[in-house]
Amino acid sequence: MGLSIAVCLKPVPDPAHYDKIKIDPVKKTVVREGIPTILNPCDKHALEAALQLRGPEGTVTVISMAPPNAEETLREALAMGADAAVLLTDRAFAGADTWATSYTLAAGLKKAGHFDVIFTGTESADGATTQVPAQLAEWLGWPHLWNAVAIEQTGETQLKVKTKAESEWSDYQVSLPCLLAMSRESNKPRLTSLMGVMKAKKKPLTVWCRPDLDVDDAALGMQGSPTQPGAIFEPEMGRKGTLLGGDADEIAVQLIGKLRSAGIAIETGDVCAPGGGGI
Amino acid sequence: MQFFQFTEEQDMLRKAVREFVEAEVASKAKEWDENDVCPVELWPMMGELGLCGVFVPEEYGGAGLGHTERAIVLEEISRHSAGLGIALMTHHLGTAAILYYGTEEQKKKYLPDLCSGKKVGGLSVTEPSGGSDFMGQKSTGELKDGSWVLNGRKCFITNSHIADVDVWTVITGQDEKGRPVMTAFIIDGDAEGHAPGRKEHKLGLRGSVTGDVVCNNVKVAPSQMLQKEGAGAKIAMTTIQEVGRAGMSAICVGILRGCVEEAVKFSSERILYGKPLNKIQAIQMMIAENRVEYEAAKLLTYRATGMKDAGLPCATEFAIAKYYSTEASVRCAKRTMDSMGGYGIVNEYPVGRFLRDGLASIPSGGTSQVQLLITAGATISGK
Amino acid sequence: MKTTTPADWKGILVVGELSNCRLQPVSLELIGKARELKQTCPAVGDVAAVLIGSGIAAAAAELAITGVDEVVLVDRAECALFHNDLYAAILKQIIEMRKPAVVLFPATARYQDLASMLGIRVDTGVAAHCVDIRINEKAEILAVVPAFGGKVLGDILCPAHRPQMATVKPGIFRQGEPVPGHKPKLTVFDAGSVIADTLKKTRLVALDTSSCAVPEGIPLEKAAVVVCGGWGMGSKENWALLGELANLLGGAVGCTRPAIDEGWMTDESTMIGTSGKVIRPKVYIGAALSGSSHHVCGMKDSDLIISINSDPRAAIFAVSDIRIVGDAKQILTGLIERIRAIRSA
Repeated sequence: MGLSIAVCLKPVPDPAHYDKIKIDPVKKTVVREGIPTILNPCDKHALEAALQLRGPEGTVTVISMAPPNAEETLREALAMGADAAVLLTDRAFAGADTWATSYTLAAGLKKAGHFDVIFTGTESADGATTQVPAQLAEWLGWPHLWNAVAIEQTGETQLKVKTKAESEWSDYQVSLPCLLAMSRESNKPRLTSLMGVMKAKKKPLTVWCRPDLDVDDAALGMQGSPTQPGAIFEPEMGRKGTLLGGDADEIAVQLIGKLRSAGIAIETGDVCAPGGGGI
Repeated sequence: MQFFQFTEEQDMLRKAVREFVEAEVASKAKEWDENDVCPVELWPMMGELGLCGVFVPEEYGGAGLGHTERAIVLEEISRHSAGLGIALMTHHLGTAAILYYGTEEQKKKYLPDLCSGKKVGGLSVTEPSGGSDFMGQKSTGELKDGSWVLNGRKCFITNSHIADVDVWTVITGQDEKGRPVMTAFIIDGDAEGHAPGRKEHKLGLRGSVTGDVVCNNVKVAPSQMLQKEGAGAKIAMTTIQEVGRAGMSAICVGILRGCVEEAVKFSSERILYGKPLNKIQAIQMMIAENRVEYEAAKLLTYRATGMKDAGLPCATEFAIAKYYSTEASVRCAKRTMDSMGGYGIVNEYPVGRFLRDGLASIPSGGTSQVQLLITAGATISGK
Repeated sequence: MKTTTPADWKGILVVGELSNCRLQPVSLELIGKARELKQTCPAVGDVAAVLIGSGIAAAAAELAITGVDEVVLVDRAECALFHNDLYAAILKQIIEMRKPAVVLFPATARYQDLASMLGIRVDTGVAAHCVDIRINEKAEILAVVPAFGGKVLGDILCPAHRPQMATVKPGIFRQGEPVPGHKPKLTVFDAGSVIADTLKKTRLVALDTSSCAVPEGIPLEKAAVVVCGGWGMGSKENWALLGELANLLGGAVGCTRPAIDEGWMTDESTMIGTSGKVIRPKVYIGAALSGSSHHVCGMKDSDLIISINSDPRAAIFAVSDIRIVGDAKQILTGLIERIRAIRSA
């Protein structure tokens, strides 16, 4: 038994370096110079889920809509264990919002073949809209579940899936083909082995551009996007702070004073003045 | 000549190893050093990732790569834990002795488990009389009733207490000129009479176990002998020269990179006179010197591993690389500490450990003076 | 691609969230914002809230006090469990019939999912995880959304498509002033046929729902004092100090991702920031955390921000009212001892 599985991947600037991101004061564009590109961390969980579900005769195809240098990220996914990779890349795809991105990805996936399951992460580290999984499933007309934490194959064409919302677990039964956006809690992505790295170079990586896809130009990229970006800016969050000095005990005494004036009763731990935080 | 560059695969492989190191090694290195424990539990994972048998052909369960890739693995691990670095590097020594000198039967018996990380490898050569007085070994092997009976004590042996497969050298007789005949055997760690002895309390490279290994009437079948009687000296010598010194060089390249990176990190975070430390030229000089020594060590080390992979004679190149890398790691760690002022001696920072690890790397695989003697000999004779 | 005539679309529709038949506070926060938008631009039209579930009349009644103009109710046994395909089909019909200019959704696991689906089903754009929403005189929405973990904010417009949709995380907006005695119009939406149609076609079956284990103590978003630790706490033993202080102050413990990675905290719902909770307690105490923009976005609106870090350049200091440069373990221990001394005096 083997499933034909696709995994959507996105190369993103490494979130560990987001504090270095700046806005060019003149051009008003995001400057991300010197920030390495990595595979979106959530997507590793999607890939891991796919590799676990694949079965001995199954295949895992990774797909990305990204600039040409995303080949490197796709090779990493191949090294982790995927069987084939597809890169959708064209200037015409640039500037797409989630609507146009999911439209293009859907076209690429339709061309790439028949799939039983598509896995995605829950969100990308950079844009973090969380929208692409659901929207991709909508374009394909497939059922989907977001934030899946556990998958169990209950029949040849059926999965039982547990999802997590804020304070609740839900169990669903879903018929294939379906799309699952995997939670970070769902698994621990495997590390890449040296053998995997060496095998990766021999695995197929296909690149498709605009002419390779059956798509409507008006639905691509920035012009095909219902949402349009306006100004960008850095959030103003600064506060004028007071520096407390002294040894730990002297600081403790000063802090207690500050807590008291904020309405925290030190004697009881209660809140004495109403208003402010909470719901 | 072509300029020095790793292949795309080697870069990818380095990234894969780095991911392992960042997930499983970086945050624990300090603890291993403080408690002086070797994380043996990592072996199966390192096996699965191909680190235990990086240079072993795939047919024996290895990754089928070469010594350059092995050096990359050791460099990446030692960037955070030179202790784990030398433990793995010693595992490779035992593995290499069997791979390069074992019979097909011996290779099939031992290499798959060594590659998968099911078993830990070791190589026991040095004796209380000294490692460099190579032929002065006292351990003996005697053929009795069809079995070899081994006796003796090895000391300063890395993986002494954790090796499941231990390659030993013993003296099995004298040749016609009265010279000792050295022979190498593969001993199963749990063989009766084979046991670890004293455990050393080391200055550096903690996180690896170093100590005595004793053979007390250990009976081994003749099929456990590597090659033939008298081949032990060559087996031990070439393994130490071309695998051991390569490993120590790579470990110290890792320490050197650690020094460069820690110096950059600290000097950009620490504020002095209202600006980061790295704006001060005296500090910049130190960072530059670290970088130069790191680059030099890297070039020497990887040139030698490239020669090894190409099948060229490389004992001198490894002696040079090992001498330079180990000594440079000590200089750089000391310099990095100096650049950090008081913080340099605080154990919250890894640089003190780098200094201790660098110092402990010097005698492993032969002291600096031994490397210089080899280099002098080769240079004077025009090699 | 289809475009719409914006003038045909009127009103603001807030999609309220229920969990276990209980109205989620984010619904009230969204209504608060919607009423504010209506005040700024009366031309946008009335504010309606839609609730989907089963046995939810009581929850609907709770909405009266928010001053919402109309409550649209889909109270059906088939909707007892959340089913994205079914809920989206119902909402699509409601949106197409009512033609609201603006639809606001909670940016929660379930409701952001609905918003995303509807973006395709009704062919429009969705601004994700807005931190602010503004409106102009032409009832055009300008949504402010975070990117790169909140380091950058960007305006998002939806010029040619209607409705204009947006999702907002719980805790971002405040509930509006209560309007006592207000009686909104109640509309029961007849979803019978859309439910029957959808259940016939759908390949998804909702089986069961259960509550996640609730972490002990006061929930983070309700705590007046939140003590939050970062990677710099260094060990599980040091981490325990945060809980001790939170207990003494009747507060809750929050964390940043490294604490989850290190295993000091096991529940991801205690994470504060763009990929976690947004909180605004009376007092926030941040210990040994750097103050990355991901995290700061989740706590910047706290009334009083106290931070402790050994690195005087830590970014957290820039957003703090009280700054302590020092070892978090020592400072926390000192504070705990002092409070204990006061208690036992």
